[in-house]
Amino acid sequence: MNLQEKLIILADSAKYDASCSSSGSTRNIKSKGLGNTFFSGICHSFAADGRCISLLKILMTNCCIFDCKYCLNRRSNNIKRAIFTPEEICQITINFYRRNYIEGLFLSSGIVQNPDYTMNLLIETISLLRNKYHFNGYIHAKAIPGASLYLVKKLGYLVDRMSANIELPTDKGLKLLAPNKDSKKVTNIMHYVKENRSAKFVSSGQSTQMIIGASQESDYDIMSKSSNLYQNYKLKRVFYSAYIPVNHDKNLPLIKTPPLVRENRLYQADWLLRYYHFKVEDILSSDNPNFNLLIDPKADWALRHLDEFPKDINHCSYEELLKVPGIGLKGAKRIISSRQYFTVTFKDLQKMGIVLKRAKYFITCNGQYLMTKDLWNADFITKNLVLEEQKHTTDTKKEQLALFL
Amino acid sequence: MKKSNYIYIYPNDFTSLITLLGELAKSKILPLNIQDKNYIPGLFDKVIELDLSPLNTPAIISHIDKNILNTLFYLYLSNHEYKELIMYYFFLYSLKFKDKVFFHRDINIVDKALKIVKYVQNENHKLKGFTRFKELKRHILYAEITCENNIIFLLSNHFKKRLKNEFWIIKDVKRNILSIYDKKDFYLVDANNCNLKEIILSEEEQEIEDLWKSFYKTIGIKERQNDRCRLNFMPKKYWKYILEVSDEI
Repeated sequence: MNLQEKLIILADSAKYDASCSSSGSTRNIKSKGLGNTFFSGICHSFAADGRCISLLKILMTNCCIFDCKYCLNRRSNNIKRAIFTPEEICQITINFYRRNYIEGLFLSSGIVQNPDYTMNLLIETISLLRNKYHFNGYIHAKAIPGASLYLVKKLGYLVDRMSANIELPTDKGLKLLAPNKDSKKVTNIMHYVKENRSAKFVSSGQSTQMIIGASQESDYDIMSKSSNLYQNYKLKRVFYSAYIPVNHDKNLPLIKTPPLVRENRLYQADWLLRYYHFKVEDILSSDNPNFNLLIDPKADWALRHLDEFPKDINHCSYEELLKVPGIGLKGAKRIISSRQYFTVTFKDLQKMGIVLKRAKYFITCNGQYLMTKDLWNADFITKNLVLEEQKHTTDTKKEQLALFL
Repeated sequence: MKKSNYIYIYPNDFTSLITLLGELAKSKILPLNIQDKNYIPGLFDKVIELDLSPLNTPAIISHIDKNILNTLFYLYLSNHEYKELIMYYFFLYSLKFKDKVFFHRDINIVDKALKIVKYVQNENHKLKGFTRFKELKRHILYAEITCENNIIFLLSNHFKKRLKNEFWIIKDVKRNILSIYDKKDFYLVDANNCNLKEIILSEEEQEIEDLWKSFYKTIGIKERQNDRCRLNFMPKKYWKYILEVSDEI
């Protein structure tokens, strides 16, 4: 098997991991060696699925002793298997990085022999890359659940980001679909990384991933889990990956297309949790456990709390501005800093990057409302917001939405 | 402020332009336009070139707040037809509002200026990712780029840090400028003055490019194909020099 065939097999097996960010780290170039990192991250290319490519995302090997039902690389699947040597990974990474194809390496692996053995393979490779090739770019490595903590420590000093995937939000789901996995082993690693994080140890933090739509969990279960992870383990990101049917199993749902709209809603809600001062209970509850696929979670919340609107742009607080659909973080900051110097009008809002098409239903400027008063009802606003969103959705998403309309 | 019917001409560099802006502000002139030396006047244009040599450029520049000077520099690099005039008005407002000028989106010209700056910065950031080097004989890295704004200086600063221990050359094809880095610093030169005809690729170059192309094809998930999203992030105008998509054009 030549290098190209190997690369194709091991990139193909790695592609389902959603994380590809290269941000949060500031490594400066050393006198000897190659590369640095850029705090806000850099996207080098975009794949045909529209996702950013910033890291060389590959598996060390796609051989695996586990038999997770949703995974392409499960033991019982009859697929081509390959393994890279550490030297091969270094060669590809260096050659790609010098030509500015990539921002760094994302190395993960199927589990061979046992977690410690696999972890050692990753450490050997990355240490070769850092110490022999003096590679100083971004490295994101997967921690293998169940590996000894001294190995997690060793790996942590070599990489910018580490992640261990939680995969499914509840133990019930794990038992059903990933019988060899144990969420305790994942959280052990997260706890260790959280306790020891520093500028030299996993400097850009840790992340994780959940698969969406392979098991029965509701959005409420998923968001509660995320919120819990952010609070208890100080995660930088939780990624959501719409389940893509690669295997057949009686425990897997029968779907043809991945639930992309749902995935999108989860990301939107995730941002609300992290930056917009929302709590899970604000947007979902056990009575209302799933997102409205037709409308984004913030607008959905606003429509359920219409009595708190409209807000006056020139008087309400920063926190209140953040809760208005169509106003983002930057927009809210701009409004706050500008209104010290002049009275903001609708025209100014447009210049500040506020999406008036959405915000206009929920705001007033100096007591003035853009719509007529008799249109102030949830039905009318919902219809218009849904129509507005439809214009911006892609055809595949439209197909999925059509099922609900 | 008095309106002038003259088009003011400046030597083609940033510091001269700033000196001229300082001088115009001091004499309270609102010029019809400001243009660089390559400007070809129309039949009825009245042009004037001030003698800037007696003016103390470092003193003028040191009086300008760092953030404002930075903004002026980004404007200077933009491809906007009236960038000099926008710079001048932005400069005037910065004299009035000091560093608070950045909050004054209610003033059209300030809003316009800040949007242009954003555009230049965004393009620079995009090219940090989209630039593709090829390895030539003797381990020299060579990249061709195409960009709307004149960002090769900004881009070179980025690669000077990242590829510190490599020899590299970046060519802005549209403006015919080369940036040449010798492991110490980079130099911007007119490509006409350089003989780069004999570009010979290193032996393994083709192999690495093929590896990258097959990686690119593999990493996209078929079930999630989304051309519109890809085009949004990676507009077609850059594709010619992005090797993994250049054959899709």
